[in-house]
Parts: sequence; C-alpha cells; structure tokens
Amino acid sequence: MKHNLRIAKVFLLLLVTVVFSLTAKGQERTVSGKVTSDSGSELPGVTVLVKGSTTGTVTNIEGDYSLDVAWENSTLVFSFIGYTAQEVPTNGRSVINITLDEDPQSLEEVVVVGYGSQKRSDLTGSISSISGEEVTMLPTQRVDQALQGRAAGVMVLNTDGAPGGNTTIRIRGMNSINGGNNALIVIDGLQGGDLNSINPSDVESIEVLKDASATAIYGAKGANGVILITTKMGNSEKPVITYKYDVGIADQNKKLDLLNAAEYARNVNAVELSRNGDGNVPLPIFSETEIQEFENNGGTDWQDVVYRTAITQNHQLSISGSTPKINYLVSGGYLDQEGILLNTEYKRFTLRTNLKTEITKWASFGITWAGSKEMSNSALFGGSTDWPNNPIGAATRFSPTIPVYDSNGNYSKASLFYGNPILWNPLASAVEPLIERNTIQNNLNGYLEFKPLTGLTLRITGGARILEGNDVSFLNNKTFIGLQNNGQGTTLSNSSTYLQNSNILSYEKTLNKHQFNLTAVAEQQVQKYQGSSINSTDFLNEATGANDLAGAKIVKVGSSTEERVINSYLGRLNYILADKYLITVSYRADGSSVFGENNKWGYFPSASLAWRASDEPFVQNLNLFSDLKFRVSWGVTGNQAISPYQTLAKISSGGYYPYNGGDVTDIGFFISSAANPDLKWESTTQNDFGIDIGLFEGRLTVTADYYLKTTEDLLMFRDIPTYTGLKSIIDNVGSMENKGFEIAIGGDPFVGDFSWNSGFNLSANKTTVLDVGPVGKIAFNAGGSGQGTNLPFMYLVEGEPFGQMIGWGYEGTWKLNEAEQAAAYGQLPGDPHYTDVNNDGKINLDDQKVIGNSMPNIIFGWNNRFSYKNLDLSFMIQGDQGKDLFNVARIALEESNGTSRQLLDRWSMDNQDSNIPALIDQRTREAANLTSTISFPTSGGNVNSRWVEDASYVRLKNITLGYNFPGSVTENISLSNLRVYISATNLITITDYQGYDPEVSSFTGNDAQIGTDYNNYPQSRIFNLGLNVSF
Amino acid sequence: MKSNINKPIKLHLFIMMIGSCIMACQDLEENPKSFASPNTFYKDPSQIEAVFTASMNNLWNSWSGYGWAMRSAFQNTDSQNGGDLNISQNHGSDLWAGHYSSIANINPAIRAMKEGKLDGVPQNEVDLLIGQAKFLRAFNYFMLVRMFGDLPLLTDETEDQYNTLLERTPVAGVYELIVNDLREAIEKLPPTWPTDQKGRPTSDVAKGLLAKAYLTMATAPLNEVSYYQQARDLSKEVIDAGRYTLVEDIHKVFSLETEFGPEIMWSFISNYEDVATSPQIWSSMRGWGDISVQTEWLEEFPEQPRKQAFFEMENSEGVGFEELGRFAGVKKYQYDSEEDFDAGRSIINIPILRLADVLLIFAEADNMVNSGPTPEAVEAINKVIDRANGYIYNSEHPRLTINMTQAEFDTAVIEERNFELCFEFDRWFDLVRKRILEQESRETIRQNFSEADYLFPIPENDLRLNPLLIQNPGY
Repeated sequence: MKHNLRIAKVFLLLLVTVVFSLTAKGQERTVSGKVTSDSGSELPGVTVLVKGSTTGTVTNIEGDYSLDVAWENSTLVFSFIGYTAQEVPTNGRSVINITLDEDPQSLEEVVVVGYGSQKRSDLTGSISSISGEEVTMLPTQRVDQALQGRAAGVMVLNTDGAPGGNTTIRIRGMNSINGGNNALIVIDGLQGGDLNSINPSDVESIEVLKDASATAIYGAKGANGVILITTKMGNSEKPVITYKYDVGIADQNKKLDLLNAAEYARNVNAVELSRNGDGNVPLPIFSETEIQEFENNGGTDWQDVVYRTAITQNHQLSISGSTPKINYLVSGGYLDQEGILLNTEYKRFTLRTNLKTEITKWASFGITWAGSKEMSNSALFGGSTDWPNNPIGAATRFSPTIPVYDSNGNYSKASLFYGNPILWNPLASAVEPLIERNTIQNNLNGYLEFKPLTGLTLRITGGARILEGNDVSFLNNKTFIGLQNNGQGTTLSNSSTYLQNSNILSYEKTLNKHQFNLTAVAEQQVQKYQGSSINSTDFLNEATGANDLAGAKIVKVGSSTEERVINSYLGRLNYILADKYLITVSYRADGSSVFGENNKWGYFPSASLAWRASDEPFVQNLNLFSDLKFRVSWGVTGNQAISPYQTLAKISSGGYYPYNGGDVTDIGFFISSAANPDLKWESTTQNDFGIDIGLFEGRLTVTADYYLKTTEDLLMFRDIPTYTGLKSIIDNVGSMENKGFEIAIGGDPFVGDFSWNSGFNLSANKTTVLDVGPVGKIAFNAGGSGQGTNLPFMYLVEGEPFGQMIGWGYEGTWKLNEAEQAAAYGQLPGDPHYTDVNNDGKINLDDQKVIGNSMPNIIFGWNNRFSYKNLDLSFMIQGDQGKDLFNVARIALEESNGTSRQLLDRWSMDNQDSNIPALIDQRTREAANLTSTISFPTSGGNVNSRWVEDASYVRLKNITLGYNFPGSVTENISLSNLRVYISATNLITITDYQGYDPEVSSFTGNDAQIGTDYNNYPQSRIFNLGLNVSF
Repeated sequence: MKSNINKPIKLHLFIMMIGSCIMACQDLEENPKSFASPNTFYKDPSQIEAVFTASMNNLWNSWSGYGWAMRSAFQNTDSQNGGDLNISQNHGSDLWAGHYSSIANINPAIRAMKEGKLDGVPQNEVDLLIGQAKFLRAFNYFMLVRMFGDLPLLTDETEDQYNTLLERTPVAGVYELIVNDLREAIEKLPPTWPTDQKGRPTSDVAKGLLAKAYLTMATAPLNEVSYYQQARDLSKEVIDAGRYTLVEDIHKVFSLETEFGPEIMWSFISNYEDVATSPQIWSSMRGWGDISVQTEWLEEFPEQPRKQAFFEMENSEGVGFEELGRFAGVKKYQYDSEEDFDAGRSIINIPILRLADVLLIFAEADNMVNSGPTPEAVEAINKVIDRANGYIYNSEHPRLTINMTQAEFDTAVIEERNFELCFEFDRWFDLVRKRILEQESRETIRQNFSEADYLFPIPENDLRLNPLLIQNPGY
C-alpha cells in the first residue's frame, strides 16, 4: 500500500511539473482559477479547453489552472471523468473558480458477468476487464494473442508461431491433468466459442472471470475460468463506416548461430580422425581444397533457405449505427497471413451482423450472426513430427556443405558418410507437403427479452454454433514420410453442432437500503460431433494426390460420432445493503450425459462478500480513497471434460491383422475400455481474497487478489494390473492445488494534452500436485525421438510443483585436476561430468533428480499509452520469470558432428573451462583403458540438465506510434476520423534462452508436457503499417 | 394498461412452459453409435473372427510385442547380439501385457459362444470358431507360462477381472488349461483351410503345438518325463499325415512363396495391405541393426548353405561385417526387395511353428522315450541336416547315426534346433527348459547368470497393483 502511494506521489509530482511548464507559456490574456468537486475537494487533472480551439490545459494537484485565451469572450469547457462537463463563458474575467458535479452514471462502469451484467462497484468477485480498444491497440489478428500481458492471472503462451498457430491460455494455473485446462469462452452468451475465429475489431469488451464467485455460475464448465466476450453494437445515430487496413512484414526474430560450411567440414574431419581405435587409421572426409572452396562459397545457410520475409494483410470494414428502435453493426474482415517458414499461411474471412430492435416498450429482440472461414497450410513441425522431416529442426542440422539441389536438380540428400544420414532435405520438408486445414464456422445467436414489470426481465436465448472442418494432406515421394509409404494422402472431415437454449429470468428491486438482484436460469445444451477420415498410402498416380484417395493401394477409412447433453438449473442472488455491504450467492446444478450412470448430476455453490469501505464516513474523512473495497469469495466449480461414453465399456474396431493370411488385412474388434459407472466431474474449490483501491479520484487504481484453489477427483487413468487386458481404467483419483497472488495497477499519471495511461499487472501462481494416485508420480513423454531423450523427463510428483523436470545433473566437463575422480566413473578429463546423487560411484537411474521446472513463477505485463495532441505512442512489455525449457532441439546441434558454433568452444587442454565435452579420440580412450560406470537406459542419456535452460524473458511485445489527423484535415476530405500508425511486434526480447523463442512448447497435448523446445515454429518479428478511416 | 401487462405475462408463462418441456425431453442416458458394447457384441461369426484378428494384433506390432521381442524379451539368447544377462524389473512386460490383452479379448468370445449367443449358426461353424478360440488362448498361455512360470489364470469364467484380484496358478495348472484347450482345438479345427484362409491354424498346427507343450512339460521346470510319449506320438502324427513337408531348398524356406506352407505351419503374418502391423524388424546388417547376430555364436555355426541362407554376412560389395565393424544380419526376415528395405518395411511372415521344428520335437522325444536314437528319430533329424548341407556330405556338420548314446543324441538335437530355429522365438525356451543358459552364454556375460534368469519377473506394475501376486525369486 505504502509503496503504491509513493508511486502515486511520483506520478503527481511529474504531473505538476509538466502542467506548470505548459502554463508558463502564457502571454496574452490569462484566465486562472480553481476547480473543486461538489464535496469541496480540489480536483486535479481536470481538462480545461477553450471551446472551438485546441488550446487547453489541465488542473494541477491543487485543482488550479491557468490558461491563455485569445478573446475576451471565450468559453471554457471543464471536463473530468466521472463528472458532468461544464461550459463557462469567460466574459472578460481573469479568475474563474468552478465546482464540478459528480456524474454517478459515468462512474459506473458496467461489467458483463455470467448471465447478466453488473456495475463494477457492485462486484464481489474477481473479474478482469479488457476493452475492445485495448484489444485493437495492437495490430493483432487474434483475440487470444491480444490477451497476453493484459490481465493479471491470465497466462497466454504462444506455443508456436505459425500463422494461425496455437496458444495456450491458462487462468490462475492448471487445475487438471487429463481433463483439460482451457478456459470456457463465452461469446455474447453462447458457450464454447473459439477465440481465433473472431475478428478483434468486433470486440466491445472482454471479461475474464477468475474466482469461484464469478465462475461457479458456469458450474461443470467453470473450473478453468471463463472468458466472456461481448461484441460491438452501433450507438451513434449517424451510421459510422470504419475501414481498417494494416500490412505486416515479418521475418525471423532470431537466427541460430551455426557453423559455416568450412568450419563444419573441419569439425567433421576432426570427428572422423578421432575414430582411430582398434588400430584404425581413418582418413579425413574433406580435403583441404574442398574446405578452401567452402571457405570461398560459404556453403548452404539452410535457415536462409527455409525462412522468408512474410507479408500479412488485414482488411476490416464495419458499418454501425442506431435509430431509436434499432441498433446494428455489420462487419467483415479478411486476413491473409504468410508465415516466415516457406509454404505456411493462414487466411481468414469473417462476417458479422449484430442487430437489436425494440418491439415494444417491454419487449425487444436481438440476433447475431457471425461466420468465419479459415484456411491454413503448413509444413509438419512440432513434437509429433518425426525429426528427420521437421524443416525447422532440419534447417539447423542439415550439413552446410551440401547444396540445396544435387547435380540433377533434385533435392539433395544427407551424406551417408558424415552428419546424420537420415535427415531429410529441409527445403523439401518445408515446401513439398500439402497440409491444408479448412474450417467454416457459423454462430447464430438470438434472444427475445421481455420486461413485463419494473425490474423483471425474462430473456429467452437460442444459439447455435455449426463448425465444418475439412483437412486435406498429401505427402509426395519427395517427402520423408511420402517416400516411405509411396505417397500418403489423408482427408479428415468433421462437423460439429452445438445448440444452447438459456432461459434467464431476473428481478431487480430496491427497498430503502436494500438492493436485490435475483437471476434464475434454465438451460440446455446439446453437442453433436461427426467425423470421418480417409488415409491412403501407396499411390499408383502421385499426380492426383489427395484428390483421388481411392487411387492408392492401401486405403484406410474411419468414422466416429458422439453426442453430449447437459441440462442445467441455476440461480444467483445479489444483495446490497446500504451501498456498502455486498453479498452474492449462486448455485448451479448440471446434469450431464457424460457423467457415470451413478453420478449424472453435479452441484456447484458459491458465496461471496464485499465491503465498500470507501463509502464509510470514517474512510471518506481520510479524503484519500475514491474507492476501497474488500472482497472475499468461496465456491465450487467443475471440469466436465470427460469425453462422451468414457464411462462405458467399449469394444472398438481397429486391431488390424491379416488373420486369414490373404493379401488383404482383416479388421479386429477389441475391448478398449472397462466401465466405470461412478465417474464424475473434477471439482475445484476456490477461495479468493481481494482488494480494490482507487486513489486520486480514480487516477490510480490497484486491484490485488490472493487465491487458493484445490481440485479434487481429478480424472486420471488409474493403473490396473495389465493381466486384465487393459492398462488402466478412468477414475476420479488425484488432486491439485493452485495458490497465487495477482496485482493490477492502473494509472493516468498525466491527463490532458499530454497524457499517459499505464497499466501494470503481475501474477504469481504456484501449482502443487497433491495426489496422483498410489504411484506418487506420473511421467510424461515430451522428448521426441532420436534425440537420446526417449526416457520421460516431465513429471507430476506428489507434493511437488507442477511441471517438474527430472533427469541427471550435468555439471559440465571433468577438469584435468579431476582426472582421478573422473576415472572412477570411467571418464577422462573433458568427458561429461554427471551428478552422482547417491555417491555410489555409478551413474544410473538412482541418480536422477529434479533438473528444472516448466512453469513460470511470475508473469507480468506493462501497457503504456502516451498521447500528445494528435500523436500517440503505446507499448507493451511482457514476460515471465523462473521457468525452464528443455531444449531438445539443441541436443543434435551439439553432437560431436553437429552444427552448433558451440562446438568450436569444446573442451580441450587449452580450453578447460568449457562445458562442451571434448572430442577424445578412440586411441586415447583405449590407452586409458577405463570401464564406464555410467549406465543410461537405451536412448535416455540426454535426459540431463545440460539441455535445461532458463527461459525467463522480458519482451517488448509491441510498440506502436500513431497519428490521428486533426478534425480540420479530416473534415476537408469528409472523414470523421483518420489515423495512421506504424508498429513493431516482438522487437526486443531479453532472455538467456539459446533457442529460437523462450515461449514455445512443442508438446501441448497435456499441460504436464509443456516445457520442451523440439523445433517448434518460432515467433516472428513483425513491422506493421496501418490505416484507420471512419466516415 | 393492466391488460397490456397481463398479456405478455401469460405469453411468458407459456414460453417458459415450453422451455421446461424441452428441458425434460433431453435424456442424459448415453447411446453410443460408433462403437460396440460387450453386451451387444459376439452375435455372429464374423464378429468372433474379428476378435481373433484383434487377439493377434495384440501380439504383433512394429515396436513392441513380437515385432520387437528379439531385441527385448529374448535379447539374452546366445545367438542374439546385445544381451548381457542382466534381467531388469520390467523385462518382458510388453509381452505379458500383449498376451493378456489377447486372452482378455478371446475369453468373452468363448463365453458368448458357450452361452449360445451365436443364435442360428450351425454347430459345425460354431465348432470351427471354438477350435480357433481355444487354440489362440492356449498359444497365449503357452508363451506366457514358459516366460513367467505361475500365472494369474483368466478364463471365460472369470468375473470382472478389473475389480477382482487374482492369485498365480501354478505352472502345472496352466498346462492343464493349455492341454485341454489344444485337445479341443485338435478336435474342432479342420486339417486344412481354404486358400483365402490359409493363415488360420489347422488341426495339425494344434497337434504340433501340443507336442511342443508336452515336450516342454517333460523338461524343466515340471520335468514330467512321462510326457515325452505324448510329444512323440503327436509330432509323429503330424509328420505322418504328410500335409506339411520340408521345403527342399534351404534358401527358399523364408520366402513369399513358402510363407504359408508347405513347411511353415503357422506364423505371425504380414502383408503390404496391413497398415497397422508391418513388423519393421530391423534385422539387417545395414541400417540400425537392431536385431543382429552374436559373432561368437555365428563362428560356431557350421559352414554350410544354411549359414549363407540364414545370415547376411557381407555387404553388396562383398565386404564382411567384421571388416565393416558391424554384426551379421538375419536374412530370415529380410526384406523382399531393396525398395522395401529402403522404406523400412518387411512382409515376410515370422514362423511360430514349422515342420522342421516338429521333426526335431519328434527326434528329441523319440530318443527320450526309447532311451536312445531309433532309425526313425535319426531320419527325422537328418532330413533337417541334409537340407542344411545342400544334400551333400559336410564334415563340419555330418548326419547323425543310431550309434550315438541317448545323451549325445539329445545334445545334438538341441544343437540342431539352435541352428535351424534361430531367431524364431525358440532358442530362449530351449535354453530354459534344458537349463543350459549358463553353459551356452558367451563367456563375457556368464558371470551375470543366476538361476533366477530362467523366469522373467512379474511386471512391477501388476505386482504393485495386486498384492496377491508374488514375485519370482531373484527379482
């Protein structure tokens, strides 16, 4: 608190200086005076403008102002947020003191909550709001990315940087292991929406519901937090047409520093010459002449070959307006985004129509239709891709001594004599695959609202979301996988329909000091999914590819369908006593088809209390707080992420085997799961303690929360003896805990001509695994294959933080003076030195320990907006602290014959400080005649801390400079608004992380797998130029 | 005014009533449509056959099961490169899981057939299905009992194995089930199948497998020597029936033309069409050489056409494996073509039972029954030896004679099995049932031997989850 006050004081001191310097310029007629509020206090920061001009100033900390006016009879306009503006004619006076009246209406920011809205001052729960303006401040194409760094407690990970790529959004940590941790997205009341397919310009506001008081109203879907999105509606009588355009130029944010061809060739020779064991006399692979030639021509820079400068274009057009009876908005967007990796792109068309009309005084009707069509194409990358044909990894590993094409003009192949012979040509891996995803989404949402009596509202809503997906891929014989299968083509079609009907009855009543607001809802949801796939290999005619999947020798088809039904009843009561004591209680009952036969209904209560201390006389007398509120809440939410039919015993098709011995295979039916009629939702109990502070008439606000969440009945696959024929049965087993602290500070240190608005948020969350069943720990594979990381290193361990990495400790290399100790392990100086945890002279499975953690301790964001007259500058800095990444991608680069420049620094007699192991020739080893006591399980030896890196970072996420043309200019060309801006995204990143990007995660299937960089698509650096026009 | 307000209220009530009606109409019961439930399955023969298919799929995968077993469970076999006789806690656990999945799939099918769920299907057709089911179950248990000893015995009568803990049934009890199942299979399986079903087990396969089971029962750990007689008689029946014969050319024993006979009787099957189970056994001296031949063992292998036929010992330029710093590959499962090799796929079947095996079972059992080699036993083994030598005299590997002692002959038969049946999941079990693992292991790893090695450990996972299971000694 004291700290915050100090910040405020500094802000104000700066403010005063600036104000004085502005006012000191006076020369003509000077008008001065004092502005006070109706309660008598002096008002700093009040804008004072000479009507019809751009001349103006703001009041200082004492509420004083001083202004030069050109004419004796000017009119001054006094305005301040939360107060009714006043116009005062000067009438030749040189001193004008005025009193501004508080405008209760404008102070009361309205916040959207589940199934309704509330005044911010009446909130008892923890809700972060982000305005549409903030969302579009960045030249962002996606709402999920715009959330990053904007709200306390919200972690957004750009796990891959591909156009249309993935983000992982977590609100207050991870609650679940297998049930999913995605927040519920609610767009205009329709649940389960998709953040990627929404046009950011259409967003009016985003509310992030965090504590149980806010989320419990969503019951079995609420445990991971809720993101409510409200889209825009027309509000000016004159139709407003807005056109926005921006063009972005993206390139590689960072290039890895690799060996050039000559250096690489020398290293290959050195490695080859070290193979002199058993009396062998190896010969160098490259001759001096060849190396000299590489020296001259530089070889192939594969990173330059597969990456490009990519162009993004974004057009957005909207028309909105209102008549006394009708509000409307029609908007369209077209985004065409190229990725920096060749052959990657994303296109999105969006169209939205929002319409609201008043039928009678007591009935209204509204309808929203939002459609989107998305198309993306990409090479294979990420954790599930075989390493030889991941172009991102291959571009860093492929020998620079090999040209892109061979002498016949075909893609060159890896050498059989040096480097990794299985690696595939990176350019072929980038450009040859066709991997296209098409999605068409239709969201339709309508309501009828009746207000039969004062305070009573019935709102009947019906919504539908229909999603059609169609993915096509073809890997031809120039691709790694295509060649193995003589062409591989697939199509995947799926269609899903979601229907939601919510009937919301609400009643508001004020009786003297008592305010009531009662909401009751009956809701039903039906979700249907149908999918089919065709997978063909061994093509007779490659030319037709995926367009003729029947033209292949092997055709495999699949299809599935599922359905989910939820019936819900819920109620909420808000009660406010004397404007000071606020109580909210809510209760929801969810009946879900996916729950086990014996547990079809789940119940989710919540209660919260708030005290608006700033309305107490003794606080008001302090004359310090414009707002002071204490909040406490408790509630239970659920995670119903059980897939349909998971509670039933299942016989599935697909155990293929040519049982009859013919040329065709036969289809098998096998028992794939056992029944569990008791299966139920995961349940999260959350306590939240919060405080909201407003100082200096709201120019400095602080919101801080502490929370404690415990999730029980985690859905887990409980191991059963494998002699049963199954490995596990799904059950409610484990539990997890999240506790954390978050703070958001907002301020307007400067207002007026020069203004500065600043928002800072910081969150610290700690997720602890309390129980994962009798085993005590669960291992997750996240190391890919072929990198010596086949052993799991990501673990959830009972009693330990989420995201532990467990492996061997790497202490660098053995030094010369440690030769004796090294020999005990069969190692020579220069060899890797692993931690012998139990000091038994051997390095084996018993020596594994915690070597890192994938979850940040702190995430933060700092948003700033400066404006001076028509110019504005905004920037955002965001980052996280205290997380590690397992850099699997680096392993291959630092193999003895790898491509990393680090190899030049490897341990040698002259370079004993190096932690890169030495290249020790076999003859030296034979002479030493040592027996190694290091026994790593097959292909697991690289599960050690050498590859674990601190991936904390601070990033200048965006900086934008904009100019709004003054009215005098725009009026001449009949525009109401004209703005141009330039911006840069990901301009500066400060991190120790050695890979492309500290934010990536190659495996995101389960949150416990987050924290591996296995050649994922890195984020790019983007420069944008944009134009906004309204008329 | 009043009426104006009342009207809409009525309307609301009406709509709410409709609303609540729709609510009541949404049923929370689940009716899956894209998969079957055990209650509704096993209704016609093709569904039962789909269970057999799945039960083999359980055993036959690219990187686990028998597609990988030589590199994992059987890696300590003396012929195999790479073993060290250090048997880890989870050794063989994927085979344990695979066989039990297979059994868990078969048991409900047997129960359904017993309960008469195959309504309206003629008895002879039902018998054919029961015969296959029993054969497959017996095969699974026969593999398991030789690896792990006493076993939790799941049959078609076991109720809810997911929530009931089972104890281990002693080896003799397991064999009782194997013998009963195979006896029934012999009765119910046909002597031959139509060409388009040539991959299925015949009554001769069941007899051959039962002969092998009896032979194993006659040796360690049961050592019930009386079973030699049954092993002898059953194998003789198979040989005498003449439905299976040796392939004349040793180079043709493992080829696409002969993978369904006349010599190979039953095998793990692969074909180009099968997208799920191409075995990808990397048995070549090229590539990663996952499965390769122990050089010391290969040195003892007699020089004869069979050695050339079974092993890849030099590259296409004629450079020997030792010179290349590698190990010899196993030609038995090598790829049909160069193209297949490059693509990493093999469609050669891996035999589970073939006539050479049956001939050697007969030779071994007959020698034991008659306290020494009879002309019949000598003839049986010499068929195998003659073919191995290319039907000419080979001083390195001469024919056997009736002048040998019982013990000499027995040793020679086991040695012949060692050479002929190498890399067919067989040698390990000979090392175990004859208790010669220590003696046959190469010197460098012999110190790692212990008696406990004759059984694999019960997988850690199952031990932990079922306290009634008691671990094999030494683990």
